[in-house]
Parts: sequence; structure tokens; C-alpha cells
Amino acid sequence: MKTMLKGSMLALGLTALAATTALAQEATFVMTARLVGAPTYNPIKATKLNTATTLIFDRLVVQDADQSFHGQLASSWEASPDGMQWTFKLKPGVKFHNGEPFNAKTVAWWVPQFKGSENAFTVEAIERVEAVDDLTVRFHMKHPDPNLLFNLASSFMCIPEPKAYEALGDKFGVTEAIGTGPYRMQQFSVGQQTVLVRNDDYAWAAGLSTNQGPAKFKKLTFREIGEESTAYLELKTGGADLLVNVPTDFLPRIQADKAVKLVTFPGNELVYMPINTSVEPFTDIKVREATAFAVNQKEILASLYGGNGAVADTFLISSLKEAQVEPKFRIAYDPERAKKLFEEAGWKPGPDGIRVKDGKRLTVKLWTQNGTEFKRLVEIVQAQLKAVGMQAEISIIDAGSINAQYRKKTDHQLAIRAYQWTNADIVDWFFAAKRAGYPNVSMFNDPEAERLNDIAMNKSKTWDERVANFTRYHEYVLSQYPFAPIYQPVQSLAYGKRIAMPDKIRGMGLYSSTMLDIAPAN
Amino acid sequence: MLRFAIRRLAMLVPVFLAVSLVIFMIVHLVPGDPLEHLIQVGSSPEQQAQMIARYGLDQPLLVQYGRWLAKVAGGDLGDAIVMRQPVARLIAENLPHSLALGGAALVFSTTVGIVTGVLAASFRDSLFDRVVMGFILLGSTLPSFWLALLMILAFAVQFEWFPVSGARSWDALVLPALTIGIGGTALIARVTRAAMIEIAGRDFVRVLQAKGLSFWRIQLRHVLQQALLPVMTILGLRIGWILGGAVTVEYVFARPGLGSLLITALGQRDYPLVQGCLLMLAIAVMLGTLLGDLAQAALDPRLRETMGAR
Repeated sequence: MKTMLKGSMLALGLTALAATTALAQEATFVMTARLVGAPTYNPIKATKLNTATTLIFDRLVVQDADQSFHGQLASSWEASPDGMQWTFKLKPGVKFHNGEPFNAKTVAWWVPQFKGSENAFTVEAIERVEAVDDLTVRFHMKHPDPNLLFNLASSFMCIPEPKAYEALGDKFGVTEAIGTGPYRMQQFSVGQQTVLVRNDDYAWAAGLSTNQGPAKFKKLTFREIGEESTAYLELKTGGADLLVNVPTDFLPRIQADKAVKLVTFPGNELVYMPINTSVEPFTDIKVREATAFAVNQKEILASLYGGNGAVADTFLISSLKEAQVEPKFRIAYDPERAKKLFEEAGWKPGPDGIRVKDGKRLTVKLWTQNGTEFKRLVEIVQAQLKAVGMQAEISIIDAGSINAQYRKKTDHQLAIRAYQWTNADIVDWFFAAKRAGYPNVSMFNDPEAERLNDIAMNKSKTWDERVANFTRYHEYVLSQYPFAPIYQPVQSLAYGKRIAMPDKIRGMGLYSSTMLDIAPAN
Repeated sequence: MLRFAIRRLAMLVPVFLAVSLVIFMIVHLVPGDPLEHLIQVGSSPEQQAQMIARYGLDQPLLVQYGRWLAKVAGGDLGDAIVMRQPVARLIAENLPHSLALGGAALVFSTTVGIVTGVLAASFRDSLFDRVVMGFILLGSTLPSFWLALLMILAFAVQFEWFPVSGARSWDALVLPALTIGIGGTALIARVTRAAMIEIAGRDFVRVLQAKGLSFWRIQLRHVLQQALLPVMTILGLRIGWILGGAVTVEYVFARPGLGSLLITALGQRDYPLVQGCLLMLAIAVMLGTLLGDLAQAALDPRLRETMGAR
């Protein structure tokens, strides 16, 4: 009887251990806010991809937080001196999830798939692709494109398996997604969850990962939870192991919570206030300059974001070389300068403190999209503008329709917006005259800016030349004050006790390079 | 009864057409379009024009409506533009979750509402009546978004009885069902109470009392049976309302369902999907009303005679 009891207890113990081990090999990651709602894992046709994408697919190269590039499916690369050819050596032995080999022919098939697609601009400079041999591929360029590596490192440049891609058509990325990444897609329910299972054959990680073999977790579930409070409470109660993107609002709460750990790393987002240069009173550069210098970035950082992140004083995130402009171009809070400029522009303080010119009060429209953070921010900016004599009337517009409103080239005057991008060409996107309305919400149309834009976008032959050209273009745009920079958020993730994080987050965010190093906690 | 049912069903056709037109127009007249989610910021105007033409969005609204209605009449809800899947499939994947949630909420609100209404009517104007009805009324006035978060904080975070969100186990249904159910409980309880009180004052009740039947026998077997007629009407309306009312609750609890699907589709201005979801909700309301009417007619022969004679 005693023996039976012992045996039963041993069996129970073993069962419990097995269950614990199985649980330890699985993890649930939660995505919230803007990461929610990616409709497909088709990198070629998607305009929105989520964190799980780089676990299913690999890219030729990946980019680290310091903007350096590292091979993932490519082992090395070389550009010809005139920038008209790029030759990539590919890693041997790489296989897709369905057993098909990855080689130079795959790349030669892949690039033309972008033609006419949603992401065609990424390969616009490539004339044709030549498979030199099984593991060597050469890009022949229409014109030099020093930005090629940046484009190749984008999530939209993840490489799908050709046969499955062609067989599935629009269903690729929805019902099945086959890549070479460290995980296979097992199940995808739009807006709900993606279940990934480990690719045990994986042995071609980028050099950014310490782990060069298969991932540490056997199964990963990426849940999408739109409501941020719910996402945080799932992490707090152990229903989730990792919150991929912690909303800035929640940072203080998570910092104070002993049940979860927080990791912050440099962000790739910038919050700014476009100034519509095509409508009064902002056709006057002095009024634009005064408005830009009236925004107190440090106060916003401290009061709204609890000191997390950094102030913005240019249009680009600080880690970009093109953000290193001369000090005179930086836009930092200076209320005395703002007031002086308003005076010079003829706007004098009225009896209630709001400035007046020719009997007209300095009242402007200030737009933003719905969302707690935007609402709070716009109210602070409204108060700061009032302090220098400008009355801003706030309009909160649905996030799904605000861009369409801008596109109508309406009479909006100021707006609070944010962008997420890690390349200086964002200056072209948001200030090129051909995109006036949206995304050029500032309706900026300046001949000198257009000239500098053309040089930066089309005449740069090397990366260094491109950096110099974009820096010049960026500086000129700054000197015309079509916007006020506000804030650079940090990226942050929070995790529970079942997760062991690597010491450093590698890459431009939480991508496969770091996720390969995330392990079950002992 | 069959004639009555056919007549009521036929009346739904013009309602359906009117509803479909209103839905289509509202969806298309709201600012924004799905192209925001199909076109990269760096895309050229030519690429944008190609996309617009590809989805027929360059056609006049009435032409677009006609095409959509013709498809719907043929049983095809079209393909979601942004999600790139057949709308019918997306709805079919999500509808069972909404039905489970709506069904559980309806069972809860009906059971608790009727029991509370009967007790409140039986102990009319007592402390019990005032406290319980007041408490239920308070619960029903709380915004479902807020009530959902309170539920999570109390029963998932504090007591750890239920999961915070999701639909991965049966117990994940409890908190969202309670959140939706509480809203309907007050209505059903109040209607039940009012009907019970009104019927209890009729002559036949006094006859039953004179015959010596017990108070509870009269209340439960005779008064309640008649009091259920107006409750049936309310329940019919609630079927559709619960599916639509689950939108915010599904969102907060991160549950799949028509509500979550609708919110995602609205955010992306995915016209065919929004239209499909709204049409499903409208159909649910219409069928709920029909079921309520049929149930009422089944319980009260006078009603079907009146309707049938017209």
C-alpha cells in the first residue's frame, strides 16, 4: 500500500514537472495600441505589420539601434564604386518552413513581386536582380540608392517562400505564412491572436543575436488587446508574459509595480506640431517661428510623460546622423523670443492677453486625433500657446478619418501628430510639396526646400553623401518653421517572472534579433 | 399562427432594404476611407488611383450601393478590403463568440430580472423592493466600459477567480456576460415587477384568492404567466441589442466577436466588413423582434387573431 502511495506521488510529481516544463516552453506576448489589427503577414502587400512578422520571416539584412546594418540571410554585401550594383552573398543551408531552399533564385523572384504592390517604393531604385550563382545575387540599379540597405532591413522586406506565395495569392499571410524565420505560423486570427511554433531547424540568426540556434520557447502566442488597461492587467495577473509595447501613460504604474519588470530603450517615434504654412496667420514666418518657440518641450516631458523619453528639438529622432544639425537650427522653448517675434509681426497683446492685429484676435484651430495621450498633450500645448498670447481652439478628430481631413487641404492651422520612422527621408515625406495636405500637413511648399529635397532624395551616391544632403535639407526645413518639435518617446516593454530578458535589446525595436535571446526564467 | 408568422416575415423585407441603404450611406459618408490602410505614405498618386479603381471606390455611391445590394441578395457579402478575406467567413468565425456571450448575458439578465421582478412585486414597497430595485437600477446605469474594468479589477485581479480577458476557456465568458447582463437585468426586473403588480390587481386574482389558493401559487402560476407577455417583447428586442451592445465589452475583454470585428473594421474603414457586421446586427434586431412577436402571439391568441384579421 505504502509502495503504491509512493508510486502515485512520484507519478503525480512527474506529471506536475512535465506540465511545468511544457508551460515554461510556452509564452504569451501581448501587443496593444497601434500594434493591434495588422490584417495580414504578407510583407509585400501589407501596410501594417506586427511584431510577430520578423519571427516568421527573415530579411537579407537587419539594422541595429546604432543604425548599423548586419547580415541575416545575407552573409556579406558590397556596392560598386558608382553605386549602380550591389552584390550580396547569401548564407548556405537556409530552408523555408516548407522545406524549400532559400537561394539567389528566391531573391531574383522576390524583388519583382513588389511591382505595383503597396510597398513598391522600397524597390523603386532596383532595375533588375541577377542570380549570379546559387548563393550570390546582384542588384542592378536604375540610379544609385544609398538607402538600399535601410529598405532591405524593413519588415516589409521580409522574404516569403515563392511557391506558397504564388499558390495562396491574397490568402498568403492570412491563412498561411511561410518564411525562413525562427517560428512557423500555426494560427492567425486578425485582431485576436497569432500562434507561432518553433522552427527547430533554425540556424541562420543575424549576428545581433547571442543565440544562433533555434528559439528558446517552443510556442509563442501573440495576443492583440486593444484596450491598454486590459493588456496591462493581463501582464500583472500573469495571464501574459510580456507586454510588447507599454503605452507611455502606463510607464509610472509599471515602474511602481513589483510584479513586473520594465525595459526601456531608445525610441523611433517623434511627436510634433505641424503648422499650416498656407493659411493666415502662419503664412508669416515670424508667426510660425514664434509659435514653434512657444512650445515648452521640457514641461511636456516632465508633466505628461514623467520624464520618460526625451525632448525633440529637430524633426528627426536623435539617433539619426541627420538630426545632428547646427545649434542655431534647433527649436527649443524660448517664450521671450516668441513674444518678440509676435510683436515684430504686428500681433500686440489685447486686454485679455490674447494678441490682436488689425482688430483681429490671434485665434487658431488646433487639431488632433482621439486618444488619451493626444487629448492631454493638446490641452498642455493650448495652455502654452495661450501664455504667449495665442488662443488655440481644439478639435479632436477620429483617428480613422483625420488623415482624410488633412488630405482635403482644409483650413486646419495647427495639429498635434506623431510619426514612427528611422530614416531621414521622413523629411521628404512630410514636407515635399507634392504631398501637401497629407502627409505634408504643414502644406509646406518652398522652392529652395524642393531643390534640396531633390538633391537629398535623388542625387546622393553614397551613404555619407546622403547624410550630408539630408542634413542640409533638414536644416533648411527647420529654418522655415513649418512645425514645432515636441517629444521623443522611449520604446518600452514589460515582462513577468517567467521571462528572462537578454541584457541588451538589439535592433530598432523588439524584433527577432532580441526575441531569439528571450528565454524561460529558471 | 403560420399566416401571422408569414405576414410578420414579409414586413421585414422593406425594413431590411431601408436598413441596408442607411447602413451603406452612413458607412460611406463618414470621413476617411480604407485606402489609408492600403497605401504606404510614400506611394505615388498613380498607385493611389489604381487602388481606388481596384475596389470600385471611384464609382458613384448609388452604383456602389446597387452592386453591394445585388451581391448581398445573392448571399455574398463581398471581401473585406483591408483584411483581404471574405466578409462572410470573418463573420462566421466571430459570430459564435458573440452568440455565446449574448446568450449567456441574456440567460443571466432574464433569470435574475424575472426572479427579482417577481420578488419585488410580491414584496411591493418593502425595504427589499426598494433596495434590490435601486441596486439593479444603479448597476444598469453604469457605462459598460467602466463596469467591465471594475469587474476585471474585482474578480480577475483582486480575487483571481476569472481570467482578465480572452476567450480561451469557459470561465473567460463569465465577466463579460455579467457586464452585459447587468444592463438588461434592471429593464426585465422593472417590466416584470410592473406587469405583476398590474395583473395582481385584476378580478381573476381575487377569485383565485377567494378559492383559497396560496399567495405564491397565485403569483407564480397565474400572475407571472400573464406578466411574461410584455417581458417576451422586451426579450425579443434584447436579442439584437445584446449583440450590438457587446461591442465595447468585447473590446475591453479582448474577446473575438462581432463587436471586436466591427471596431477593427471601423478603425480601418473597411467598408464591406463594416456593412456586413452592421447588417448582421440589424438582422439580429429584426429577428429578435420577430421572435418576440411570435412568442407573444403564441402565448396570447387574441394578438394573432388581431394581426391575422388585418
